[in-house]
Amino acid sequence: MADGGENGAISEAEAALYDRQIRLWGLDAQRRLRASSVLIAGLKGLGAEVAKNIVLSGVKAVTLLDHQQVTEEDFSSQFLVSRADLGKNRAEASQERTQNLNPNVKVTADTEDVKDKPNEFFTKFNVVCLTCCSQQTLRRVGHVCHDNGVKFYAGNVHGYCGYMFADLGEHDYVEEKPKIVKADKEKGEEDKEGPAGKKAKVDTTETVMVKKTASYCRWQESQTVDWTSDASSKAMKRTPQMYFIMKVLLRFREDHGRDPAVSSREEDKVALLRLRDDVLTEMKLKTDLVGDEFASQCFAALSPVCAVVGGVLAQEIVKAVSGKDAPLNNFFFFNGTDDSGMVDCIGKS
Amino acid sequence: MVCPISGSFASIMAALPSTLVSPTRDFVENSKVLVVGAGGIGCELLKNLVLTNFKYIEVIDLDTIDVSNLNRQFLFQKQHVGKSKAQVAKESALRFNPDCNIIAYHDSITNPDYGVNFFKKFTLVLNALDNRAARNHVNRMCLAADVPLVESGTAGYLGQVTVIKKGLTECYECEPKPPQKTYPGCTIRNTPSEPIHCIVWAKYLFNQLFGEEDADQDVSPDTEDPELAGEAGERAVQQEAGENAIGGGIQRTSTRAWAVSTGYDAAKLFHKLFHDDVKYLLSMEKLWQKRRPPTPLDWNNLPEENGTAETDSNTRIQDQQLWSIRRCAAVFRDSIEQLKEQLAARGDGAELVWDKDDEASMDFVTCAANIRAHIFGIPTKTRFDIKSMAGNIIPAIATTNAVIAGLIVMEALKILSGNINKCKTVFLNRQPNPRKKLLVPCKLVPPNPKCYVCSAKPEVSVQLNINTVTVKTLEDKIIKGQFGMVAPDVEIDDGKGTILISSEEGETEANNSKHLSEFGIRSGSRLRADDFLQNYELVINVIHVDQLEEDKEFEVVGQMPEPGPQPDTPQPSTSTNGPTEPQPGTSKDVEEEDLMIIEDEEEDKAPSSKATTGVKRKTSDSSDQPVTKKVRTAAAEVAEEDDIIPL
Repeated sequence: MADGGENGAISEAEAALYDRQIRLWGLDAQRRLRASSVLIAGLKGLGAEVAKNIVLSGVKAVTLLDHQQVTEEDFSSQFLVSRADLGKNRAEASQERTQNLNPNVKVTADTEDVKDKPNEFFTKFNVVCLTCCSQQTLRRVGHVCHDNGVKFYAGNVHGYCGYMFADLGEHDYVEEKPKIVKADKEKGEEDKEGPAGKKAKVDTTETVMVKKTASYCRWQESQTVDWTSDASSKAMKRTPQMYFIMKVLLRFREDHGRDPAVSSREEDKVALLRLRDDVLTEMKLKTDLVGDEFASQCFAALSPVCAVVGGVLAQEIVKAVSGKDAPLNNFFFFNGTDDSGMVDCIGKS
Repeated sequence: MVCPISGSFASIMAALPSTLVSPTRDFVENSKVLVVGAGGIGCELLKNLVLTNFKYIEVIDLDTIDVSNLNRQFLFQKQHVGKSKAQVAKESALRFNPDCNIIAYHDSITNPDYGVNFFKKFTLVLNALDNRAARNHVNRMCLAADVPLVESGTAGYLGQVTVIKKGLTECYECEPKPPQKTYPGCTIRNTPSEPIHCIVWAKYLFNQLFGEEDADQDVSPDTEDPELAGEAGERAVQQEAGENAIGGGIQRTSTRAWAVSTGYDAAKLFHKLFHDDVKYLLSMEKLWQKRRPPTPLDWNNLPEENGTAETDSNTRIQDQQLWSIRRCAAVFRDSIEQLKEQLAARGDGAELVWDKDDEASMDFVTCAANIRAHIFGIPTKTRFDIKSMAGNIIPAIATTNAVIAGLIVMEALKILSGNINKCKTVFLNRQPNPRKKLLVPCKLVPPNPKCYVCSAKPEVSVQLNINTVTVKTLEDKIIKGQFGMVAPDVEIDDGKGTILISSEEGETEANNSKHLSEFGIRSGSRLRADDFLQNYELVINVIHVDQLEEDKEFEVVGQMPEPGPQPDTPQPSTSTNGPTEPQPGTSKDVEEEDLMIIEDEEEDKAPSSKATTGVKRKTSDSSDQPVTKKVRTAAAEVAEEDDIIPL
């Protein structure tokens, strides 16, 4: 893992640029952000949103990794490429606009396929965020990151829905809590007694930092839950349906080497419903756990859905590298058809 | 398709693969939307709209681009600083989809050019605003034009989106908003106990010395402090009369006139404000019987303690270093010098307007607040912290705005495809609630039949003193300030239609300084206030009272009875989750004060506020208990992006 290192203080120009966020997460968090390197693999709509938010936040470096070409489908959610980039490599095409978002961040494009990258490649980063990847790649990179202390994220958007996953290993962070000021006591020492019986109160301008630790499971563990066990089957009732839809979509990607496509919408719908039955049956679950609607709502990527999932995912990355605030553990699922945005911890025994 | 910029791309566009299918896709492409605000939410929103293939967009924002916007308003870059937000946002968004038509207005939405007919052009209005006044106005315009409105707001990590449709949902003003925080005059002038009291005092002082003088912003000791109960203050006045003490509520020399007469001599100002006035306060002995008495400061003998240690200054940015009192005094001298020059440069009779982004103005308030804090034994603050408090800066980040702008479009899609009954109020929380929800969707609430804006015959009652409240106060603080009118006409419902206030310039200015009683207004009088632009008429019942608590000038009463329990009332459609995820029958949506929502469900047994930071559980777990709807303090109030809520 790249050692963040504290190379230099925040300059006055940076303080002016990042003023509104420093007021939220503080100068120390900003300093840690500034020392971190982030890999974003997969530069479709979701990758573009994450890249935008992370570059704006002021990290040290962002690497955009994508071996695929810009397609027409990208034009409805990927704003870092232009119409003229059709057919060009997606990472390279995204570099200029990404860089323009914040000249303080080193933005690099990498056109290789994530599945061909050796394990050592991932350990150079503080954060690895995979989108558009196969189960196999997610498993491998998930392990590499977990074992090497790299913060690992995965996410995808399919039409109206999307999700993100986080594995931060053993993650130390601080939480800012309002300082409880006992007016009577504190003042009492100096000036006998405070005016007219003041109670203990919260001074909103004074806070204390509380140190905490959270532990995360690996991607693989999140995918291999035994839903037939007593505890799991009980928890299943409250598990967002999106989790199972995610499994179906990952299987589709595995089987077809691509995601459901607008150009083959009708065939893909049929395939999706069949895969839903297969996947749920393999998990020894009833196939009616997931209704049919998803199969017509998971094509391409809706820009606002990328914005929601990419916003949540990027904020989690900010939390992870700044070591500030309780991170989500470990899935976030968004379904744009009913505005539900659920957090669930899946795979941790 | 007419699109001057897209040119050859138009043909490609028609076939672009999309998640959306007909008819939603056609509804989107044929819709006309108005985006109000091109700031944090607005930039994200424009991106989402053009990518989702909205073809006709108009965007309005009166603001220009500032460096502190660039961490999140990603359609802008350094070279755009100082330019129109609406214009630059339009140009940047068109690059994402050259096949859109965007019209940009660098203007205020409250400008009369944007009347009801302007609003009627649109299928939908999307608010991306940062202040309550503009939200009130757009709310009224959308009600008048009967156009659905998607309202939104963010504050730091929190955000909210809701939908407003005349007759179907609550309007923006259906629930009373909590009043903006004010501090009693005697706390500010005599007995500050918190940093904010000193900051408010310092801003008042700025206005007294350089800005618009306001009798409500007196900074000198207040002899009418109720705590003094008469005699103590009298004694103090006798003791200190004469000298160069100009305060005391007796001597009415204006602070400004006196400051000018000294040539804004920093040492003299310091001596008066931080020595003489403080000694004067000390003479009001009653105030200090249970308080730490203040310590007057001597300009020639200032303490050096309390500053940031030199070793620490390397790791801190300038603004986050704590100034010693000696440094504060030096800044006091320098900033007064600069402000004096700024004032002189503007010519005779000019006034400065306090601006957190003006260096000298911010320096002045920082040092004056800190010197006063030191005197009263209150912790001093850094310039950075004082800027937050004095400038009411609401922190803002890209990610929250991105999430909220995404949700705005999701609601817009539902409205356009005829499913407004599936729309929700959605809250973005900091941590998931006990039901695992980070985004919390809540049913839209039907209109409040007693709403003073959207009900059929809006009417309110206002308590005030008819002998002391002037027509000017009625107009500025009540009709405009409280009731959100922009250009009101007001007449007395006395059978003669006496015109009190006219929206035409020059017609009723002569009335401004007169008291309401001079026009025959009595307790029980009815005033008809009408805003032609907003197409909004309000009847105001005047109730005379001699005095209101805490020196208030007026109070709105009986405006709205507490709405009854809502959750069990069936909505137009309750199956908002679709057939695959039936809504639990007992599910209830309850709003919390702090943007936090809990949905009550029998599954949730124990309150688990510890596990969910900041989320309090308000309702009982018993589903039989009626759920009282809390006063809505939604994004509307809490969540405003930038620099609002004047002190």
